This record gives sequence, C-alpha cells and structure tokens, in this order.
Amino acid sequence: MVDEKELRDLVKKTVKRDDVKYVVGYEKGTYGFQVTPCFAYKPEDADKFVFSPLCVHNLVVFPMLEEKPPLRKGEQPDSRKVGVVVKGCDSRAIIQIIQEKGLDRDKVVIIGIPCTGVIDPKKIKAKFPGQVKNVEIKDDNDKFAITINGKTHNIAKDELMPDKCLTCEYPTPVLYDILIGKEIKSNKKEDYKKVTSFEKKSLKEKWQYWEKQFEKCIRCYACRNSCPLCYCKECMVDQLDPQWVRRTVDVSENTAWNIMRAFHLAGRCIGCGQCERVCPMDLPLMELNKKIEKDIKELFEYTPGINAEEKPLLAMFKPDDPEDFIL
Amino acid sequence: MKEKFEPNIIGFLCNWCSYAGADLAGTSRIQYPPNLKVIRVMCSGRVNPIFVINALQQGADGVLIGGCHPGDCHYERGNYLARRRMAVLKKLLEHTGIDPNRVRMTWVSAAEGHKFAEVVKEVTEDIRKLGPMQNFKRENKW
Repeated sequence: MVDEKELRDLVKKTVKRDDVKYVVGYEKGTYGFQVTPCFAYKPEDADKFVFSPLCVHNLVVFPMLEEKPPLRKGEQPDSRKVGVVVKGCDSRAIIQIIQEKGLDRDKVVIIGIPCTGVIDPKKIKAKFPGQVKNVEIKDDNDKFAITINGKTHNIAKDELMPDKCLTCEYPTPVLYDILIGKEIKSNKKEDYKKVTSFEKKSLKEKWQYWEKQFEKCIRCYACRNSCPLCYCKECMVDQLDPQWVRRTVDVSENTAWNIMRAFHLAGRCIGCGQCERVCPMDLPLMELNKKIEKDIKELFEYTPGINAEEKPLLAMFKPDDPEDFIL
Repeated sequence: MKEKFEPNIIGFLCNWCSYAGADLAGTSRIQYPPNLKVIRVMCSGRVNPIFVINALQQGADGVLIGGCHPGDCHYERGNYLARRRMAVLKKLLEHTGIDPNRVRMTWVSAAEGHKFAEVVKEVTEDIRKLGPMQNFKRENKW
C-alpha cells in the first residue's frame, strides 16, 4: 500500500505553498475501525495523516461544502487552492465537478493515491462486533491483515471490500497533480451483476422490494450531504415555493425523494458509494445509481468522470439518440 | 355499483407544436377522450422529471409529454434534451417497479390535429388497462 511518510512529506510541502489554504486527508479515528477526515492548515498538522484500507470517505465533498461568507467592504476573496487527498474513485468525482464547472481546475491541488481496495465499514463491523479500541489494518496483497489485541487476522479482500471495489476499473486517480507511489492497473470489469439480476424481476416484485426499502427511509438527507456531486445551493427538497417534496416521512414522499436524488445524479454519479455507506437505514441506494450508470452506458455510450473536457450528459444530445419509446 | 375507472392523465404540451396541435384538433372538431388534462409549457425541455413524479404523486394515473418533432424545436434543442431525460427517467421508473408506460412522450406538430387525437386515444386506452396509479400516491392524513 502507500508509504505514509511520503504522503506526510508531500502534504507538508503542499501546505507550505503560499497558494494553498489547506489540505484534506485522513486521520486515525477515536474508536474501532474509524478513520476520519482531517484538515491540515499548518505543516505540523500533516503528521496526523494516515492512509489505510479504512479510508473509505470521499473527501471531494469538502471543497464543495466550504462556506463562502459575504465579503466585507474592501476585502479580497480568498482565492487560495484547496488540497485534497483522493483515491481512484474520488478523482473521478473531481473530474465530474470540473466538467460541470462547479470547481476550477486551478483551485484544487489533487494528491492522488493509487488504491488497492478499501474496507466496507458495515462488513467489518459485522465480522468483529463491539470493537472499541483503535485497530491496525494493513494491506497484504490479496488479504487484509487486521491486528486486534496483538492477534492478527488475515481475511481475504473479497470478503471485506465494498461492491464498488470488487469491480473497480480506475484504481489509480484519473486526474492528479501529485501521485504517491506507483500507478496500478486494474483487470476488473464492471459487470452490473446485481442490476441485471434485479432487472429480470417483474414490476410487482420490484415495487414490493423498493416499497419496503423506501418505507425505511427517514429522510435525514445524509446521502445528499455526503455526495460530492450534490452541491446545489438550494436542494430541491429544501425548496419551499414551490414545495415539490413535502416534509412528511411516508412512502409517497420518500419515493419521490429517492427517485429524484437518483435522477439528479444521472450521468454524474461516479459510483463512490458514499450515499450507501452513510445511510443509517441501510437503503441500497447504489442499486439505483448503478442502474442509471448502466443505462446511460448502453443508451448514450457515456461514462461520467473520465473526461473533464466533455459536456455533461443531460446538457448535450445526439440527433440519433434512442427514441423507440416515443409515440 | 362500482364505477368504471376513468384514467386521469396530465399532459405537458409544448406551446409551439403540441399545444397548437391540440388546438387544431379542437377547432377541427376531432373527438378524443376527455381524460387528458393539459398543462402548457413553453418547451418540452421545460419538463423537469419532478413534474412527472409530482403529478403521479398527486393522483395522475399517467403523464403525457408532447413536444415538437426533432429539429423543429422553437428553441432548437429543447426536445432533444427532453428526449434524453425521459429515456433515463423511464428506465429508472421501471427499475423501481413503476410501470414506465405511465410516462409517455410524443412528437406532435401544430399541423397534426389527427395525430394528437390518435395519441391521446392510445395513451388513454393503455393507461385504462394499467389501472389506477397506486404505488406512491400522496395521502393527506389530516
């Protein structure tokens, strides 16, 4: 895996630059299998930085979440850059945001890490329940070496990796300023196994499944807040006039919210899996996202988050787009 | 006695073609089912998918979106964009178990009064067969 000393040195070097405000990375969390986002404003802060298979978060949200308070008279806007530590999938989110002109390319410093797969926190918690002490985890080729109370467990990667890593096509960041370590190539291929098997069900079965899922939703909007691509100034559900989605938590409104959330990410979702990871009710949101990803690949031969120069999917068209559904 | 199910269909018709087409159907006295409730939009590209979802929530059994023929859009590309959007939305609705045939799209020009009547007839019959929309209708609990 990644040499942490190299990471820290590079982050220190980046923070020292006059044109960089801060760098976002990962630090060790307080409990169990936790790693939390960490901000380095000074070079000393970089000593806390780590990178382990537990770094699942997509840190690209942070440059998008940054508040821009109104300026006082005569005050100049802070035009310094923001540094972000990214894995392969996260870098695609940055590309997508740049493509949509949500962020200027010269306003971010991308520190890329070639990633060999992370651990799904939900899966590892199920395996080692009640773990309180912080744990050391190392990447060991096709296994994760997990040391708990001096005892090392070697667990095959396939058992602990989230679905996105099992079919990851871009382990090396697609876009970066600084790369730590060597580029790695992936021989995995996205096969949309879950989606294709679900598609075979009848409409009734599908609705029965989703109704059960949508009923669980408590509309905490964690999926929206953790998503690097949900950065609208005012979200459609927060809007009061017109109020499209009411605030009641019931199947009707939850369905409207979940369909619209998935649709707003059509041609933009890069499959980082944050929405599903943060969901407190364990809704399989990635199934909706993956379905759209698969469809746009088939219908429009488009993959989001690869080329920053391309136009966004739903803002362009081809005269010969499929129209077999039109009367 | 059980009443016969009459579908409730919302039509988002584009000002320049489909709405004029509907107007022509009216002025030419062509008979078509009265189940379609028309909402005029300036372009089919104006139809946000939330309009469709919201209509279905509020008791519509189907939604019909009418635009100009490809290449005839008053705003040059609005109907092309709407076509892409609806293609994705229909696939998504199908995946969540809502019949994609409840959301229909059509190209009707201002001169096609007959086609408009035919389309409305077809959509009404299709949705009559599907039955009332029950999946996620909004319930007012007060």
